[in-house]
Amino acid sequence: MDLLLQQLVDGVAAGAIYGALALALVLVYRASHTINFAQGEMALLGAYLSWQFVAFGLPLLAALAVSVLACAVLGMGIERVLIRPLAKRNQHLPMIITTLGLMIALNAVIAWVWGHQTREVPPVLGQGAVEVAGAALSRQDLVIIATVLGGAIALAAFFRFTRTGLFMRATVGDTESARLSGVRTGRMLSVGWGLAGGIGAIAGTLIAPELFLQPGMMAPVLIYAFAAATLGGLDSPLGAIVGGIIVGLAENIAGTYVPWIGSEFKQGLALAIILVVLLLRPAGLFGSRKVVRV
Amino acid sequence: MTTQLDEQTERADAPEPAAPPRAPRITPVEWLRTPRPPLRLSRPVSLALGAAGVVALAIVPFVNPSWINLHVALVLIFAIVAMGLNLLVGMGGQVSLGHAAFFAVGAYTTAVVGAAGVPAVATLPLAGAVAFAIGWLFGIPALRLQGLQLGLVTLALALVTPPAIRQLDEITRGSRGIGIDGDPPAGVPLDQDQWVYLLALLVFVLAWVVTARMARGRIGRAFVAIRDAELVAETLGVAVQRTKVRLFATSAAYAGVGGGLYAMLLEFIGPENFGLTLSISFITMIVVGGIATVPGAVLGAAFVQAVPAIAGEIDPAAAGFTYGVVLLLFVFFVPFGLIGVIRGALAPLVDRVPWLRPRRLR
Repeated sequence: MDLLLQQLVDGVAAGAIYGALALALVLVYRASHTINFAQGEMALLGAYLSWQFVAFGLPLLAALAVSVLACAVLGMGIERVLIRPLAKRNQHLPMIITTLGLMIALNAVIAWVWGHQTREVPPVLGQGAVEVAGAALSRQDLVIIATVLGGAIALAAFFRFTRTGLFMRATVGDTESARLSGVRTGRMLSVGWGLAGGIGAIAGTLIAPELFLQPGMMAPVLIYAFAAATLGGLDSPLGAIVGGIIVGLAENIAGTYVPWIGSEFKQGLALAIILVVLLLRPAGLFGSRKVVRV
Repeated sequence: MTTQLDEQTERADAPEPAAPPRAPRITPVEWLRTPRPPLRLSRPVSLALGAAGVVALAIVPFVNPSWINLHVALVLIFAIVAMGLNLLVGMGGQVSLGHAAFFAVGAYTTAVVGAAGVPAVATLPLAGAVAFAIGWLFGIPALRLQGLQLGLVTLALALVTPPAIRQLDEITRGSRGIGIDGDPPAGVPLDQDQWVYLLALLVFVLAWVVTARMARGRIGRAFVAIRDAELVAETLGVAVQRTKVRLFATSAAYAGVGGGLYAMLLEFIGPENFGLTLSISFITMIVVGGIATVPGAVLGAAFVQAVPAIAGEIDPAAAGFTYGVVLLLFVFFVPFGLIGVIRGALAPLVDRVPWLRPRRLR
């Protein structure tokens, strides 16, 4: 029983990170109708920037803030320079190839600048664990869960109560009408990418102490985030978080109780989840259905 | 320095000479972005060119040291995979970012069946068949999805491939890797690299002919119809789902045969050979060469084999960086690939020399 409880707690903590990254994917999908395959590498860059600023002597939270800002600017730049010209022409294959190119180029740059040896990003509240109903929860996990929940609520409030949030929703819902009503739709798309970049940087920095920071760190996380975003529905922010937590739970429980999957092959589970969801319910749990007319 | 600047401003101020009333001028970037039809060469000319090419390639292994054979053979092998991927992406409009998985399936089939005592040549069709079957099974669910989601699933497939190989330890020997006997059968007086090279050349020529015929025939038109207007194709009697799955499986079979040859050439493979980078280099090949063209696959394969080797001398990470940047540059500036550039450069020549063209176009 204790083992199960422990797995549940670990699953929620891991799932919160997958949810955060899935949220970034969803924001980009809503803005540009593409999947940002480079999202994992942008999160990785965020983690490295945090590490670098800590190494320069900044306190961790300040380093995190700088890195979030940098990644947000990077996201907006990518949208403006690379994605918008393609999105205007509605070219899907070139957009996929562009984000793929970004993914591999970013990863190479990171490996080039920081090398392949692992770095240690300090946990936010230091080492140690907290006891929760008989299960040990590391302080870092606690921070992760709190940050992701707090961030999700803040984001929901942003969409619900602010002008920019309203404009963003309008842009996503019906770009042309929003533009005619005076919304600067292009800027709203950039804000979507910027938010995604910033959220990615937070997710990367928070997960880094647990995974050891090195250039291959994000690939497995990215695949769980894909699964989470697919499960939640690619255009639903709430779905991303819920999907992330479900995937985190499934991954931890399957890894512990299904001996063949073990710790090595848990990524295969993510692929299976993606396939099954797309087969049974292509719009995911919370996504909106698409209707095709000719 | 100042004089130079002055000269330039002066030139900019001078009135433009009146443009001749001929074809409108276009910038080099616009020239690169122009879509172009294939060069239509007359049959004898294209046959002669093809034969000359094959003969030239067949001479290579007998005059060059084995490391050159290795590189050229890799280009041929990658070109086979790229032709298959090009069928899928270019003609079928379906994206696969996970062809390294089928390449791995082929390579491991050759390795495992070869170790069981089957002669190497016989393992190649088997490698293709196993990849075809797995491509079929994977395609049935995956091809219900449109471009973006298919990209997602296949990228996940590419990421899962190395862990899956490690997990299937009993068959694949996991991270320890597996050795393959790529030697020619007894009585063939060739070195191992020459033998695999010639085998790859044979498969390459076969793949070229089959692909070109398929693209031009009934099935190719069905692919294009599905790519351009799926619902219309369906109302015209194309069995959309079945055609898509068949196309996916066929392109997986190309990758499988390529993987088999790759295993025979290297004689040792492990999970690290089949990572995401490989899948992305397959995509790079067709983007760089030119999507939906057969010769483009060859150009792309040559590019992918040559450039990272050069960039890798600067820094190991430079190869990955080059792939990424090249993908971006081609998407934006050369969307029709190297083949588009070559067509643009050669079209005036073909226009001027009448006997290069088919009779009815002269």
